Amino acid sequence: MTTMIQVENVAKTFTLHNQGGARLPVFDNVNFSVEAGEALVLAGASGAGKSSLLRILYGNYRPTAGSIHITHAGRPVDIVAAVPRTVLDIRRRTLGFVSQFLRVIPRVSALDIVRDPLLARGASPEEASTRAKAMLARLNLPERLWTLAPATFSGGEQQRVNIARSFVDPSPIMLIDEPTASLDAANRDVVVELIAEARTAGSAIVGIFHDEAVREHVATRYLDITSFRKAA
Amino acid sequence: MTLHVAPAELALEPAPLLSVTGVSRFYGARIGCTDVSFDLWPGEVLGIVGESGSGKSTLLRCLAGIDKPDEGEVLFRGGAEPLDIYSVSEQERRRLMRTAWGIVHQNPRDGLRMDVTAGGNVGERLMDRGDRHYGQIRERALDWLQRVEIAGGRIDDRPRQFSGGMQQRLQIARVLVSEPRLVFMDEPTGGLDVSVQARLLDLLRVLVRDLGLAAIIVTHDLAVARLLTDRLMVMKDGRVVEQGLTDQVLDDPHHAYTQLLTSAVLSV
Repeated sequence: MTTMIQVENVAKTFTLHNQGGARLPVFDNVNFSVEAGEALVLAGASGAGKSSLLRILYGNYRPTAGSIHITHAGRPVDIVAAVPRTVLDIRRRTLGFVSQFLRVIPRVSALDIVRDPLLARGASPEEASTRAKAMLARLNLPERLWTLAPATFSGGEQQRVNIARSFVDPSPIMLIDEPTASLDAANRDVVVELIAEARTAGSAIVGIFHDEAVREHVATRYLDITSFRKAA
Repeated sequence: MTLHVAPAELALEPAPLLSVTGVSRFYGARIGCTDVSFDLWPGEVLGIVGESGSGKSTLLRCLAGIDKPDEGEVLFRGGAEPLDIYSVSEQERRRLMRTAWGIVHQNPRDGLRMDVTAGGNVGERLMDRGDRHYGQIRERALDWLQRVEIAGGRIDDRPRQFSGGMQQRLQIARVLVSEPRLVFMDEPTGGLDVSVQARLLDLLRVLVRDLGLAAIIVTHDLAVARLLTDRLMVMKDGRVVEQGLTDQVLDDPHHAYTQLLTSAVLSV
């Protein structure tokens, strides 16, 4: 077993300087690890800090204390202490984040959005196109939309473009926040399959899934983060 | 298994392209910018944000070789030897600015020659760098006009016949044609309509990525910073109050001033 994520003594408190310096403690003393080929599902009531924790693992939120070692190119690197270009390199090659929201870039087509991570990892333009098209087809996005920019797509269509982009070349670690929120049953099943395939191929998965059926299909282990809740 | 690896050991390149140490610029008793230090690595895009008067344009002028700082050092590693840009001769600094650097001004009129054709504006930079073959220069100018989405048929028109957005794209072609390692941009989308901005931003995003440029972009628009930059420095009253990865600074701001800036916009 290869440890892909090692979280040690992580704490997070938000300090709102412009609201009287209010302090919002989220959690304290978080410790866990995730192995390759595991799917860890974060559990806990709404507001417990599941999304905050996922963002901390991605290096998006900065924890108040602690370290998070990500196994990147065969070596553990503390993403909390890493300089920006190291964090970006970790995200490019090792760490993927799948959210339910697509950040639309003006004028960039759905196909180019999905091709982009393959090109960034050195695939040829032909290979990138072939794989991107296969993934969009698998997620049932109508072919007439592929060359259009997703700004005018429906919520569910944008979400599928985002999922296609994330799973066209699964990262060694996939952080997943509510990927099926506005999908119909057929597409939801495709997403569950994609996650299972990535995991079987060796990716470490950490995710938040409100849909109970999805959660049970995906999870190999649960982590209830309520136990890390900081006494306010 | 040892768990701790210093991030520096993972360096993808041997050295930063630009090293800035303790740069300060004063106007009499007033602070323009003070005690700014950072490293910029090849291919990195750094954004400098802050409101008007925060010192971001002053800092950019110090970094770009336009305005000598009162204190501090700007070290550029473009060639074999690192170069302290303010200790070399004026002539050497100008040569550097013509060949290895590019500056995109907020107002295209400051970066273009308005009485020279579009093709001439782009070709001039190639001649500065020593190209002499007229046919090749014109061909490359034509190629670059098309890359910035200006129709080839406009090559012999003068910039004053262009719209503001076209002038800005022409300025970008003029700067990038000579393949600089480092580009400075001061509010590159300021003064343009939103629809024109979107087109220019996408163009800049693609060019920066495809050419592997390092860039320093001054902007007061956080959405522009989000789209174009890897790292952010937030300035207030001439000082850097917060810096880090762009999405960290915008999504989890720690300094009171950054929290104010990010909460003052509707959505970035």
